[in-house]
Amino acid sequence: MQQAIPYRNRAPTSSPPAFALDGRSVREQVAEKAVVVFARRGCCMCHVMKLLLHGHGVYPSIFHVDDHNEAEVNEELSKIIGAAAPQLPAVFLAGELFGGIEKIMGAHISGELVPRLREARALWL
Amino acid sequence: MMNSTSTQFVPSRRMGIYEPIHQMSMWGDFKGNNCLDASTPMILEVDPKLDNQSEDTSHGTVGHSNKYDQEASKPPDKVLRRLAQNREAARKSRLRKKAYVQQLESSKLRLIQLEQELGRARQQGMYTGSALDASPLSYAGSMNPGIATFELEYGHWVEEQDRQLADLRNALQSTETGDVELRIFVDGGLRHYCDLFKMKATAAKTDVFYLMSGMWKTSGERFFFWIGGFRPSELLKVLLPHLEPLTEQQRLDLGNLAQSCQQAEDALSQGMDRLHQILGAAIAKQLGEGNYLPQVGAAIEKLDDLARFVGQADHLRQETLQQISRILTTRQAARGLLALGEYFQRLRALSSLWSSRPRESS
Repeated sequence: MQQAIPYRNRAPTSSPPAFALDGRSVREQVAEKAVVVFARRGCCMCHVMKLLLHGHGVYPSIFHVDDHNEAEVNEELSKIIGAAAPQLPAVFLAGELFGGIEKIMGAHISGELVPRLREARALWL
Repeated sequence: MMNSTSTQFVPSRRMGIYEPIHQMSMWGDFKGNNCLDASTPMILEVDPKLDNQSEDTSHGTVGHSNKYDQEASKPPDKVLRRLAQNREAARKSRLRKKAYVQQLESSKLRLIQLEQELGRARQQGMYTGSALDASPLSYAGSMNPGIATFELEYGHWVEEQDRQLADLRNALQSTETGDVELRIFVDGGLRHYCDLFKMKATAAKTDVFYLMSGMWKTSGERFFFWIGGFRPSELLKVLLPHLEPLTEQQRLDLGNLAQSCQQAEDALSQGMDRLHQILGAAIAKQLGEGNYLPQVGAAIEKLDDLARFVGQADHLRQETLQQISRILTTRQAARGLLALGEYFQRLRALSSLWSSRPRESS
């Protein structure tokens, strides 16, 4: 899936490494957490994803992507999955890319989501 | 455009094996969509009945069939059966073409009528409700070619929908219709809804506000609108009483689906509220200075998000329909599709009846 090219003026930035607020890198987050969501700050689709997961009692870590770390995050993510960087928001379950909002919605409706969440040890009931 | 279609469609006086198929494929091209798909169930339908017919007529047409027999060197009864099938298919193709051309003509007249009304209304400085409400054609169509295309295609979609529903109703009412045939109807019906979602995705790229406004639908349907279309949970409520008798497992599965739908809708609705706030805040930034380009420019980026919401809502509709068809038996799914289609037909009728009611003179 192609990443949409943002239509905005990109100010030249010195690129800090892709760390989330709690200081963990992309790779660490994906490896350690059962559910990680990568999303742009203020993204409304991420909000939708969060709400759906909350409904199942899952409270994922959100890795916020913004102009500063976007390039690094994309690079790290594509290294992890071995393909082009996924469209955001993207959710990882047990270290593997599960998909975007469409995948989550589809799995939610078809009933596939809960078993997958259990498999990823995000749910215990 | 209509002249060119009539000259290319050659009526054949001689019923040959090859000519009707040629006609059918040309006609399929004109329709531009799955005309041939729609016609294949007809051919299957026709088969058992025609076997009897061809035996009756074989005595009369033995001379003709021998002529083809030399060329084809196949057993005569197979040749006869194929000839009869081709005749039937060609006849149906001609009827469909006739119906389509008639609809084009009436649409053309309607368009002229609407343009005249619109001209008058604009002069008076207001939009009258009557004709615009009853028809899917509207003001925006004349401004934007992508939207005009969408409206035209949507008009065809509705007509094709009405045709499919009539065929489905006949199939369900006939005692001879088996599950295999019903499956074709169900799959075709689901595919038809998918076609609509694809059309909407293309139109959303051109003008997402238009799609969100629902101006392409009748006012009755608009009353029940939710992010660019029907509400999936509403759909389940409409269908449930018409699917009985259900097994306990089906009841459970449908209940779970209703809950999942509601949750997904709530999540999308709240996401939309968020987008409202963000978009509103972006536009309202630094008012009073006279320039608007930076704020409006920032807001335009957010419109991609809006198109995504319409896309996700349509995806939810599609997934819900698919899940329903997984839970139900073929026959139940067929009945469900018919009920759903009629529900929307009634909503469309509601608008035109309302707008054509006698009014008190002001």
